[in-house]
Amino acid sequence: MKLWLGLALLAGPLAAQSAQARLEGRVPGAAIPAVDSLVQRAYAEGLPTEPLIQKALEGGAKQVTAPRIVAAVQVSLGQLRDARDLLVHGGDEPPVTPGEVTTVAWALRRGLPGPVVQRVLVALPRPPRASAMHAVADLVAHHFDPDSGADLIIAAIGQGLVPERLLDVSAAAAHELQRGHTHAEALALVRQELPNVPASPKPTRGAVARARRPAAPTPP
Amino acid sequence: MNAIDPRIHQALDGELAPAALSAELSRVVERLVTAAALLAAPLPLASLESRVMAAIRRPVPSRARRLLRWLATPRAITFRVRPVWSLAFAAVVALLTLFPLGHEGPDIGEHEGIAQFVGRFPGAQSVHVVGSFNDWRSGSIALEDVDQDGVWRATVVLPTGAYEYMFVVDGERWVPDHLAERLVADEFGRENSIVIVRPARR
Repeated sequence: MKLWLGLALLAGPLAAQSAQARLEGRVPGAAIPAVDSLVQRAYAEGLPTEPLIQKALEGGAKQVTAPRIVAAVQVSLGQLRDARDLLVHGGDEPPVTPGEVTTVAWALRRGLPGPVVQRVLVALPRPPRASAMHAVADLVAHHFDPDSGADLIIAAIGQGLVPERLLDVSAAAAHELQRGHTHAEALALVRQELPNVPASPKPTRGAVARARRPAAPTPP
Repeated sequence: MNAIDPRIHQALDGELAPAALSAELSRVVERLVTAAALLAAPLPLASLESRVMAAIRRPVPSRARRLLRWLATPRAITFRVRPVWSLAFAAVVALLTLFPLGHEGPDIGEHEGIAQFVGRFPGAQSVHVVGSFNDWRSGSIALEDVDQDGVWRATVVLPTGAYEYMFVVDGERWVPDHLAERLVADEFGRENSIVIVRPARR
């Protein structure tokens, strides 16, 4: 018991240490203590810390001033909290999966209203939901009404389309727009096609042959 | 019934030369000889006409049936191959099997996909793609302009997922990917592009 307690007490500072090590030399020194404190807070709340570290690294790479980096990380922490709350209200039992929190935070950043996110969560009670969230966000990015976009994706889920293919649904709707249909027509046409929307093309042999693996990529 | 002139009988039996007959009797004998020849000629088989007509009236078989018949009909095909060509062909097949063409590049895992980055930067000296897939570290993924046409490209293997990124031109200019369909505010007053990497093995 003492061992577990000791490990638990050590875990927080260790996470913060690893964050600090990644930030040093890449983020203005003045920002590191504040960012570090926000990372520790996120960790204590059971939230993913990687998006916060990424935001700080992004600010450092873009040569943004320390106060703006701290402010951006603070905004990111707020989005993660909102995402966690939405997941809990949507029926996920706490502690929620860090990956799902990140997914929902993405959806919010991409402009999905909270109630729309919640509808998708209810339609997909189990992870992974990233494809569904991005599919709805893609529709919203193409100026589809968020509720109508969510309706289409939820209909696709209802038709048994695997999460991976949901991005093909939003792509099909965008394609119908390019063909000159109105938003309502595009949604209706794709809904008729369900579940047989065209699949996105696989990478060609040439692309696979050309592909290079960057040094130590970091998963999202 | 009129009795036949006995000279006609004699002429038909060959007992009297036709020249010895009068012109009228000679015409009668000639007609009778022609009629006898027609009667003696073999008649065409009665079934031939009916067979020809049946063949004409028979419906044309469907294309599929004709193809099937063509495929089912045995045919003799003769190859004349010099042994040296056979050996050369076998050697080429063996080489292609052992060393398949186009199998360059990395092996792609189940949870990995391919991201292609393309940007038009005429006159640029260098272009890099920087994002959450490489800890926003400039220099790790360089784009190339092989044709020197100002279009820079990179094809990268990444773990599946969504990433934010920007291009860095000449080491200092941060530019969003104008071809990307997904953009998101970066909280620093600009916009990042978003790439969603889907599994390459689908």
